[in-house]
Amino acid sequence: MILPSEALRREIEDFLYLEARLADESRYDEWEALVADDMQYWVPRGRADYDPADRLSYINDNRARLATRIRQLKTGLRHAQTPPSPMRRIVSNIEVLAVDHDAGVYTVGSNFVLYELAVQAGTTLRIWPGRVTHRLRRVESQLRMSQKVVELVTADAPQWNMAFLI
Amino acid sequence: MTGQYAALVRDDRVHGSLYTDPQIFADEMDRIFRRGWVFLGHESEIVTPGDWVTRSIGLESVILVRDREGVVRVLANRCAHRGNRLCWRERGHDNRFQCIYHGWTFGLDGSLRAVSHKAGFDPNRGDMPLDRAGQVGSHRGFIFANMSGDAGPLADHLGAGGRELIDRLCDLSPTGNIHFGAGWIGHRIESNWKMWPESDSDGYHLDFVHASMLRAVPDNYYDETVIGGESKNVSRAIDHGGGVSELDLRPSYRRELAWLGTTRDKVDSYCAALEAKHGKERADKLLWDGPPHGFIFPNLFLGEGNVARVDPVDVGAVLHVHTALQLEGVDPALNRRLVRQSEAGLGPASFIVPDDAIIAERMQLGFQGLRPPMNGGDNGPGWVDLSRGRARESREADGTRVGHVSDETTNRAFWRHYRDVMESRA
Repeated sequence: MILPSEALRREIEDFLYLEARLADESRYDEWEALVADDMQYWVPRGRADYDPADRLSYINDNRARLATRIRQLKTGLRHAQTPPSPMRRIVSNIEVLAVDHDAGVYTVGSNFVLYELAVQAGTTLRIWPGRVTHRLRRVESQLRMSQKVVELVTADAPQWNMAFLI
Repeated sequence: MTGQYAALVRDDRVHGSLYTDPQIFADEMDRIFRRGWVFLGHESEIVTPGDWVTRSIGLESVILVRDREGVVRVLANRCAHRGNRLCWRERGHDNRFQCIYHGWTFGLDGSLRAVSHKAGFDPNRGDMPLDRAGQVGSHRGFIFANMSGDAGPLADHLGAGGRELIDRLCDLSPTGNIHFGAGWIGHRIESNWKMWPESDSDGYHLDFVHASMLRAVPDNYYDETVIGGESKNVSRAIDHGGGVSELDLRPSYRRELAWLGTTRDKVDSYCAALEAKHGKERADKLLWDGPPHGFIFPNLFLGEGNVARVDPVDVGAVLHVHTALQLEGVDPALNRRLVRQSEAGLGPASFIVPDDAIIAERMQLGFQGLRPPMNGGDNGPGWVDLSRGRARESREADGTRVGHVSDETTNRAFWRHYRDVMESRA
């Protein structure tokens, strides 16, 4: 692998932090603007070691399904996120795992811990730890997500409502 | 105490303490989940002798296993010696179960096969097999069990209505068989388990709870089948008796395959295979009717393209665990479509059930602290009204009650049977 330059590494980190902050703050339109047309948003049930076409996942959105997800959140009637959960996630252990300079495609791994206050029925602090693999692609000089895979530490256990952007 | 549940469960309302009282929950775990039939899983999950999965019956962990003779067994997941858990994974394949505490081994049928360092035991101690379900039965591959062994025939528990719902689902397969190969998704909700037989079979709430889904997904078949009350649709709510209920959407569909969101030309090989199996008339009807929406007491939800079980955790927590309908003998693309539909509908990040979950959790909060009314009286706070449609529902010759889909006929179906069970097994 040709190593990423420091500038590229910095650009990728900035993208991950921005993506995390927009998701934390339920800024749906701005978050969606980071998404490429061929997006896959995948939260597997268990490890990401199976073909999601044939088996259930918590989330397996193509671009159209993700647009529906965001449209639903924006109706203001999505009770599972009314009001939106206050959230903050810590993103760390960022590694650029693969670089294709010609295609402008970068695969990036990172760990996260998300703190969510579920406020829709009572107030409960929920902790969502996991690992994300982003596939980023340069589209007209800007980085965009074409894949976000979220492997929850708890992915084999039953999950509470996960109606926010994880 | 006889009469306790008759006082709390009336024909047109139930008391909120039923959702929050720990003693009532303990009674339910015994009278409903230990002494009655409970849905556990499907034969397609344990195809080969030695295949096993772990499940729950009420609070008790059990092993669902196919033994050497091919018989489905339901064994307590608890060593007969000192009670250590035998299987701690979700599924596996073994030719015996060995407890890692002291090395005792058990056959796939639960019999005790070997005791380590045997000399120290009294030879007259007697056999010590694993505890096991007193009754195991299946219908079209759906496995049910009863721990106590005195719950009567499974066919009676399901009733004609319950069997027909399962049959209608399985008949959608060109081989007559469905499978559970898409895996299970667990959704944890901080509510009493009974809110799920209620919510899963409620045809009155969709306009409101699911307004965001209806707006975000403009091309959905709920608009024609369950929205807008009696002025907009002719779907039916049915109480089949015995705690089996149904939301019958069939009368409202305006075209075949609406339930699959597709048209015949896109799934022509499936339509042809179904016709080869059932003949044209029956196949056409199946393609129009689609999978049923029904609930079988106490824990099996047939949710159109989904099958879910309701696993109680404690008086205020439940797991709603589902898999996608998968048809044997069809093009993989069709089953993939069903997986995508299931992800949209059920599960913690889906477009539908998370909103139901919030309602259930808010109800649970609302019932906290309620005490049963004194002396079985009607007064006092905390009653839940379930009267909608009582005056207009019809009673068929076979005892079936039929109302409009938005009537609480289905909720009354659950509670009437609940009351019968809780009183008769007191």
